[in-house]
Formats: sequence, structure tokens, C-alpha cells
Amino acid sequence: MRSQLVLATFLATSILFGACNPTPTNTRTATQYTDDLGRSVEIVVPVTKMVSLAPNLTEIVFAAGAGDRLSGVTTADNFPPEVDTIPKFNAVPIDFEAIRTLEPDVVLATDQVNSPKDASMFESLGTPVYFLTFSSLDDIFDAVVTVGSLAGTKRRASDHSTTLRQAVMDLRDRTRVIESRPRVLFLIGEDTLFGFGEGSYVHEIIDAAGGISVSANEPLAAPVFSDEYVVEQEPDVIVGSFPPDVDAGRLLELHPAWRTVPAIQKGRVYAINPDVVLRPGPRVVEGAYRMALLLHPELFGDSAVTSSR
Amino acid sequence: MPRNILLFALALIVFAPSLLFALTLGDSVSTADVARTIGSRFSDSIAPPGGATDDIVWLLRIPRSLMAVVCGGGLAIVGVAMQALVRNPLAEPYILGISSGASAGASLFFLGLLPPIVSRAATLPVAAFLGGLLSVTVVYLIAREGPRLSVARLLLAGVAISALMGSITSVVTFASPDPDKIRTVLFWLLGSLGGSRWDLLAVPAASTLVGGFVLVGFSRQMDALLTGEEPARSLGVPVEGLKTILILIGALVTGTLVSATGVIGFIGLVIPHVVRLLIGVSHSRVIPLSFLLGGAFLLWSDTIARSIFPSQDLPVGVVTAIFGVPFFLALLRRSEYRFG
Repeated sequence: MRSQLVLATFLATSILFGACNPTPTNTRTATQYTDDLGRSVEIVVPVTKMVSLAPNLTEIVFAAGAGDRLSGVTTADNFPPEVDTIPKFNAVPIDFEAIRTLEPDVVLATDQVNSPKDASMFESLGTPVYFLTFSSLDDIFDAVVTVGSLAGTKRRASDHSTTLRQAVMDLRDRTRVIESRPRVLFLIGEDTLFGFGEGSYVHEIIDAAGGISVSANEPLAAPVFSDEYVVEQEPDVIVGSFPPDVDAGRLLELHPAWRTVPAIQKGRVYAINPDVVLRPGPRVVEGAYRMALLLHPELFGDSAVTSSR
Repeated sequence: MPRNILLFALALIVFAPSLLFALTLGDSVSTADVARTIGSRFSDSIAPPGGATDDIVWLLRIPRSLMAVVCGGGLAIVGVAMQALVRNPLAEPYILGISSGASAGASLFFLGLLPPIVSRAATLPVAAFLGGLLSVTVVYLIAREGPRLSVARLLLAGVAISALMGSITSVVTFASPDPDKIRTVLFWLLGSLGGSRWDLLAVPAASTLVGGFVLVGFSRQMDALLTGEEPARSLGVPVEGLKTILILIGALVTGTLVSATGVIGFIGLVIPHVVRLLIGVSHSRVIPLSFLLGGAFLLWSDTIARSIFPSQDLPVGVVTAIFGVPFFLALLRRSEYRFG
């Protein structure tokens, strides 16, 4: 049982970025698509050259089995290792000249980092832009299929998408039996307390991992929490994209008023690899398993805990 | 004269309920909780309220409210001093490049280009203060003409140094590879009372009090300065010495405040004018009342910010302008305003 769960993590992450796939059929046709922002885009499919404007989009392309169609990625890309062989460009601000030189069939963008202004610039250059949005885990898994259908690798993409979904469902099954779910506060940064409000997939990760996300119903999407909020919410666990040396003592040093917070008192403060939580891409599945290991180490073998950290 | 005494009494009367309101905002803290929290610090017979409430009042709300009063009051009196120094109603605490210098110092430190001297939390204010001090020093040296200080040069050098420091901040932020740190810098630049703690309160409070008393002590000379440098000199005012003192006070108070809370705009520019609209131009009255009104104004701005988004740290600078500007414009339109 335990080893199966850990295996699922690796399945979800490593295998998906595996080998290439057969070349697409020779017939290429211009097709109208409606992207996640409701924009109408004409793309010649299957595409042979794609450019990704964000690291999570790159990971989604690889998960869709279309990594070999990427002709350009951003300088922020670092996963999977194959990205090191792909030409890189600056994404903030976008290096339009470099991307134009790559002559992509389609540019993949996300409204998390790209503005509609960028899209109109690409349109004037004659390059179609496909926007993807991610507010739930399903959006991420759907995006894998979408990219697969653009690249002509739809079957492979659908299979991978199903595997990812299944891995999350397996985790939910495993954590369903937990009776007392800890209240979890997820933070970006230990000093200024950026977090996630309603409409974020991060709450789903925490939920699947067997926790209750404290900030799931905060009205703003990207809130900055006050010290008082943390004291009042009394989270049992604080997980964040902190530097690895951040622990309860360090947080207490930065926020002395947190001394009554259960997570501080019990020392349940954990740093998590930001790339597997903050990037809405296929590795969120690994993020969910890592979160589960932090929240409920008793559900997994000791070896699993150590190997994951 | 009774009118002035009345205004002072009014300002003091406004303060107590303002503080109480700020401290008891929201459902979690009652007036009794505040009383017990404070009482338990002075008498063993009073038990503090339950753990979290005691911490919320004593470690968060009281230092934050006091920081609001100190910062609002301090910026207002420095505004008065700067307006007297350059005899221009548009002057404010940041004209000498202090805020932009402090921002540049803070961002250089945040992004790891300056080493942490003490602990990280204590070094940020130091880096900001040094940045502000460097800017003022450069501006001051440029503005010197032999024994005299040229006000025109002072203003122009201040604008130029502000632009330079602003560029440094932008370049450092732009070149940083770490998006988390950029967010933190940008948030800090907007100005917030969120990080206020007892140990960060002492230096700004002390420098503001010292600055306030020195300014009140020189209020007659500042009155004379408003009539012009030559008339002031003929009245026996040591004009050059006074200008240097005003710059020193401005640098000290603004530097310590900016390093504690970031850049909070509007108060230093507008509060002195509001006070002059209410009680005239005499500095012996303008300075104390500016402190009281500035402090109360920032306290209320912060209270409003916290009640709009209870769980969040909304940068207070956003609120000061939104609520302050319409009030100020209305007052400006209705009254016959005299600056000097």
C-alpha cells in the first residue's frame, strides 16, 4: 500500500516526461480554436513549433508528450532537464524579437504572467497566442489534453492526464480516512505574508493531502496576510515556499506575536519546493504527495518521508 | 486665543477614542480585553485575557497604533519644517531625496547586494536610513554656496537625487532573479504599518519627539523665515544655522520613519496646510497641532484600511490619499488660504 503511493508520485512526475513520440500526420490544416480567455485563435495544426512563455506551460507541453515541438522556452525554465537544450529567451519583459526569430506556429501564454497587451503584439507579428488559465487542478489536467490536441499527440496527452488525475484521486482515497484534519496555512515568503485566496488550486492540493486550507475563502485572490490574521486563524501547520532553513523559531523571530499559534508551538513549520506547488503544471501531483507527507507522515513509511525531503 | 485652546483640547479629545477604536476593531477584542491587557502589565492582580487576545492587543495592535501616531505626527511636523525651509507650499518631507534614498538602500539590501549587518530584520531599517542619509548629504553639499545654502539648488538637487535613487531602485528590482524578494521590496515601498513592533518603535518615537521639541523651540525663527531670508536676517535670525537645523531634523525624523514603515505619502504635504487653514501660520501652534492631527489622521487611515480588509495588510498609503484628498480639496475651496 505505502509503496504504491510513493510509486504513484514518481509515476506522475518522471514517466510523463519520458521518450518522444511518433511524428504527426502530414496533413496540416488551419483550425479555429477558442482559448481559455474566450479569444478566437486560428492555429495551423498539428503544430510543429511551439513557444512557451512560462515554466509551468513548458512542463505541461512535456506532459502532453510534445516536448520535442518546443522551439523556445523562458530563461526561468529548469524542468524537465531537456529544457537545457532548447533555445531560451527573456519572458519578463517578453523578448518579442527572439520569439519572432524562432517562427513558432503557436505561442502558449498564461494570464498569470502574460497580459492581453502581449497578445496583441504577437498578433501584429502574425503569431497566434493561446492563453491557458489555471484556477483548479482540473484546469491543469485539461490543459495537458488541450496542448496534446494542438500538437497532434492527443492520445498520449489524454493518457497522461488521466494518470495525473488518478494519482490525485488515489491520494484523496488515502487521506479520506483521516478524522482530524489539520488547519494549514500556505504562505509565499516568510517575511511579507503573501498567500492564496479563493479560486486557487493550492487549496485543492492541501485538501487532497488531508488538510484544511485556512485561507480558502479569503475574498482576494492574492492576499497579503497580517500577523493578526495568522494569530486569529490558529493554523496547526504552516507550509510555505520558504528557504530551507526556515523553521518555527525563525518565523517567531520575524513575527513575535505568533507565539500562541499551534503550528509554532508544535514546531510544525515546513518549507516545500516552490516549483511543485506554485507552478500550475503536472508536478502539482508531486506537490500534493509532498504536502501529504508533511501533514500526515504516519500515512507513509519512514523511508518515504526521508526520500521525499 | 480661546479658539486655539479649544482646538488643542479637541485634538486631544479625538485621540483617546481614536486609539480605543483602533485597538478594539473587529470581533475578537473588546474594550475590557484592552483594559485587562494593559492593566496586567502594571498590576499583578489583573489577569491578562486569553493567550491570543493578549498578544493581539499587546504585541500587534498597540505598537501598530503608536507607530501610526508617531509616523503620522512625525511626517506632519517635518512637512512644516520643509515648507518653512524652502518657503514653498509644495514642499514635503521627501523633497530632499530621503524617501527615494531610503528605498534604494532597502532594495539593495533586500536583493542581497548589501550584507546583513546585525540580524536581517534589524538591518533593513539601517540600510534604509543610510540610503536616506546619503541622499540628503549629497543634496546638502550641492546646495551649499560658500557659507550660504541656496534654496533653489536644494530643491533642484533634491529632485535630481530622487530621480537617480528611483532609477537605482528600479534597476536593482529589475535585475533581481528572485521574484519573491521583488514582491517584498515593492510591498515595502508602498508603505505599511504592518510590521510595527515594540522594538522597532523606540527609535522613530525618540527622533520624532526630539525633532518636535527642537522645532517648537525654533518656532519664532521659523515664523520670521517665512517672510524671506533677508527680512529674517534683519530681525536677527541666524538664517543659515536655522536652515541647517531644519535639514538635520528633517533627515533624522524622515529617515527613521521611512526605515520603519516605508514611504507613506500625502500626510507630510497636506496636514500642515490643513492646520494652517484651521489656526493660522504661527509655528508655535502649527507644529504641535500638526503632530496631533497627522498622528490621528494616520491612525484613522490605518483603522479604515484594517476594517476594509480585516485579514490583510493593505498598504496604508493607499488609504491616506483616497480619504484625505477630497477632504483637503473641500477645505482648500472653502477657506481663504494664506501660506506665509
